Parts: sequence; structure tokens; C-alpha cells
Amino acid sequence: MTVSSPSVKDDPKIAAAMTRGHLRLLVTTASGDLLDGFGRYDLWGRIGFLDIKRRYRRTMIGPFWGTISLAVFTAVMSSIGVGLWKQEPAEYMPFLASGMMVWLMLSTMITEGGNMFISSQHLNRMRMDYSILAYALVWRNLVSFFHNLAVYLVIVAVFLPKLITPSILLVVPGLLLVAVNAVWVALLLGMICVRFRDVQQLVATVLQISLFVTPVFWPPHLLTGLTRVVFVDLNPLFAFINVVREPLLGKTPSLWSYLVILVVTLVGWVATFKMFSSYRKRIAFWI
Amino acid sequence: MATILTENVGLDFPIYGMQRSLRRTLFQSATGGFINKKDLQHRHVSVTALAGVSFQLSDGDRLALVGHNGAGKSSLLKVLAGIYYPTSGQVWVDGKIMSLFELTLGIDSEDTGYETIVTAGMLHGMTQAEIESKIPEIERFSELGEYLSLPVRTYSMGMTTRLGFSLATVFEPEILLLDEGIGAGDARFTDRASARLKELAKKSAILVLASHTDDLIRSICNKAALMNSGRLVKIGPVDEILSEYHTEKARSELQATAG
Repeated sequence: MTVSSPSVKDDPKIAAAMTRGHLRLLVTTASGDLLDGFGRYDLWGRIGFLDIKRRYRRTMIGPFWGTISLAVFTAVMSSIGVGLWKQEPAEYMPFLASGMMVWLMLSTMITEGGNMFISSQHLNRMRMDYSILAYALVWRNLVSFFHNLAVYLVIVAVFLPKLITPSILLVVPGLLLVAVNAVWVALLLGMICVRFRDVQQLVATVLQISLFVTPVFWPPHLLTGLTRVVFVDLNPLFAFINVVREPLLGKTPSLWSYLVILVVTLVGWVATFKMFSSYRKRIAFWI
Repeated sequence: MATILTENVGLDFPIYGMQRSLRRTLFQSATGGFINKKDLQHRHVSVTALAGVSFQLSDGDRLALVGHNGAGKSSLLKVLAGIYYPTSGQVWVDGKIMSLFELTLGIDSEDTGYETIVTAGMLHGMTQAEIESKIPEIERFSELGEYLSLPVRTYSMGMTTRLGFSLATVFEPEILLLDEGIGAGDARFTDRASARLKELAKKSAILVLASHTDDLIRSICNKAALMNSGRLVKIGPVDEILSEYHTEKARSELQATAG
């Protein structure tokens, strides 16, 4: 059926263009996508910023709604937590507030990651490096976190200045580790969820349970034995919470948390890169 | 020199969400025992959008894609834009590509016209400074005035077209891909649009336009390609291809009425 005509590449003009290296194969590799995408910080910065702006358009206090709901939550939940686990309010309230701040960031990143390609119908009408979506997602969640962080730091500085120690600087590497991992989580979950639409619901369910089994409301030292190993020591979500929360409470995160994160980062990125290399071409069909 | 080179490009669209119901349908019809069920388990539903498409374009080529709905025009444009990867064959390109396929520009229609201009420009690889230097020109050509400060969702179809068209042409891409519908608008704008496209084509660019409007094709393009069921039937001078397309169309209509 198909007539094998002489290859168009035999054309002298085309051959010349090819040897000059001008003619490029219209293909985007996984690494090209990730690197070029990262270089477009103007674009993902803008997309992330517009996403936030859009969400709060026509509201009066905008992104601080998140901060307000967090403050109310902390106030109400602390009264229960203090009674339930016999905690000192001055210790428990910053613990709960900082933990919830980090939890909100992590869980939002994961949920939005699963939705990343599904909600990107525009990928069917324009070409872009897919990683830009992941960078924008991480960026806007970091910005939201900074809103809460600023309020948290002001309150702590006024009422509990002893919590602010040089360890607070460790927040920076902590957030960096969160960001590096959030990119692969968004890409991987985004790919899986856009192809298999059930997974998104599964992720939501798992996240909901994780909030209770991860030491966010309750202090990790209350748990001992095997349950501690499973829900605290081997819980990657706890490791990520720990490296951001501990500095905010004036403490140094344990080395163990960094080790867990190191393993998660390596395994996660290798798996994601493999998946992204094999299936990047298919994503447009899945949307 | 801008170049597009496609070699044996094929595109098979997988259709998801159909397998199960299809399987059930086939299972029901297979009760007679003719169909191998085991084989069906692994079969995916797919639609062949393009098959064996080869052609080349270089500077000054303004190609019109003609053919029935579903002939593969839009699919071909999307492959050239790098949105879809061909499932077989290759596409080689030299030059900066810009594409405008649907009237929804930018990412979200909640954004204002100005926000959309910057986002869309960046999506097409421009820097913020480059885009801002072009804003007066976009304002002038789109004639949207105050509307540019309003969310794009408040625009009429014609206004969105004007904004989209201004965006697509102002950056002077070397290769411009346009789908039908763009270039529509009121008569006066269509005239200005074709004048602008001609001007753009003169600047040694390649244009590929999918359209059903003969007048638009005649006034802008200097080549045409007839597509049918995902295949490129013939490529040649505009008049020749258009008359062939109309003959074929008349014939198939006749067959349809006769049948």
C-alpha cells in the first residue's frame, strides 16, 4: 500500500541542512524536558503566580485565608490535643501549627500532582515542556507555605522567642529537599493518574489516612515498638515533615530523617525518570 | 532557512475508556465461538489519524491543508507543532514554530487579555521583555482597547480570534501553523488578517493552514495538500488541488445520495 518513495532526506538541500545541523528531529527527550523546563523559570514562576492570583481573585484577604483557617484549626485542635496527650500548651501549639503547615503543603502538592495532567487540557493545543507544570506546582505551594511561615514566625517571635535558634536556618535545606522530591512526585503521580483515572481517588484516600497515622497531631515519642518503626521511622511523610518542622521548633532534625529522604529522592527520581522517558510521548494521548 | 520535513508520519490515537465496553460487546457477539477472546483481552482501541505522510516545505511555502472533516488536517498540524508524537515516521524541523489551534489562548480564560498575552508569549518561547515590546503592536492590531484589561472569558468569539491572531503573527515565527476558525471574524478583520499573513509569508516563513474556506486559501497559500483518511493524497498548486477536492467531494456526495 505504501509506496516507498526515495527518501526526502536524499534531497540535496535537505541533506545540506542536516549536515549543517540546523534540521532537528521534532522530539523532546525526558532530560531535555526537565532541563529546558527548569530554565524557563520566568514561565513557571508566572504560571504559579497566576494560579494563586486566580484562586483568590475577588476575595478580600486572598491567600491569607489559608493562614486564617490554619490559625483557627490550631487554636481548636490544641485544646483537644493538650487534654488528650497531656501536653504543655506552649509546646503543643507551635508543634501542631508548624506540623500542619508542612502537612498542608505536602498533601496539597501530592493531590495537585495527581491532577496535574488531568487538568491541563491546554497541552492538547500547544507544545510545552511538561516539567514546567511540575515546577509551577511546587513553586505556588512553596509561596503559599511562605505566607503561613511568615505569620508563624511573627507569632512565635512575640510569644515564644526561645523557639527561634540558629537551627531555624535548616528550614532552607528542608524546603529544598521537599521541592526536589515534589517535582518527581508530581510528574510520576500526574502520569499515572492521567492514564489510570482510579488512582487519583486512591491517592486521596491514602492521604486522608496518612494524616492520622503520621505524627502531625500527636508527638512521635508517644509511640514505641513496631508501630513506631512503621509509622514514624519508616514513614517518608514524617521524614519530610521532620526536616522542616524541627527547625521551626528550634531543634535539629535527626540524621535518620535525612537518610530516609536521601533514599526516597534517589529511588523516586530514578523511577520517575524511567517512566517519563518511556511514556512522555504518550501523555498527550492520555489527556 | 526554515524547513519542515516529514517522512512516513503515522499517528494512531489510542482511545481509552472504550476497551471494557468494547470487550463486552465483542464477548457477546463471540458466543458463537468465532472470535478469539484471549486475543481481544490485549487489543486496544485506536483510531488511525495519519498514515504514511511525507512531504517537505521550505522558505516561502504557504501550504493549505484541505480535506473532509476527519481527514487528518488537525492531527497533522498537531504533529508538526510537537504536541503529538508520530507513532511512526519522523518529523524534522528547522526554525522557530508557533501554532494557534483553538480559540482558547493562554492557560485559563479567567486571566485578563494582558495576562494572557504575556503567558501565551512565554509559552511560545518569548521572554517577558520581548513580549512587552510587542504589546503596543498587539493592542493596535487586535483593536481590543480597554477589553485587554478584562478576563478573556468575557470576550466574544471574534474578539478572541483577533487577540489570538495578533499573538500568533506579532512574534514573526519562522514557521506558523494555523487551524481553521482562526482567521475567521468579521469581513474587515479577515481582510486585514490575510494581508498580514501575506506579509508574514514574505518574511521567508513557512505557513501551514488547515481550512475549508477557498477564498482564504487562494488569497494566502501558494501550495495545497489534499488529505483523505489520514493520508496525503496529493500536494500541488492551490487551484489544481482545490478543484480536485471539490470533484471528489461532489462524487462522494453523489454516491451518498445514490446509496
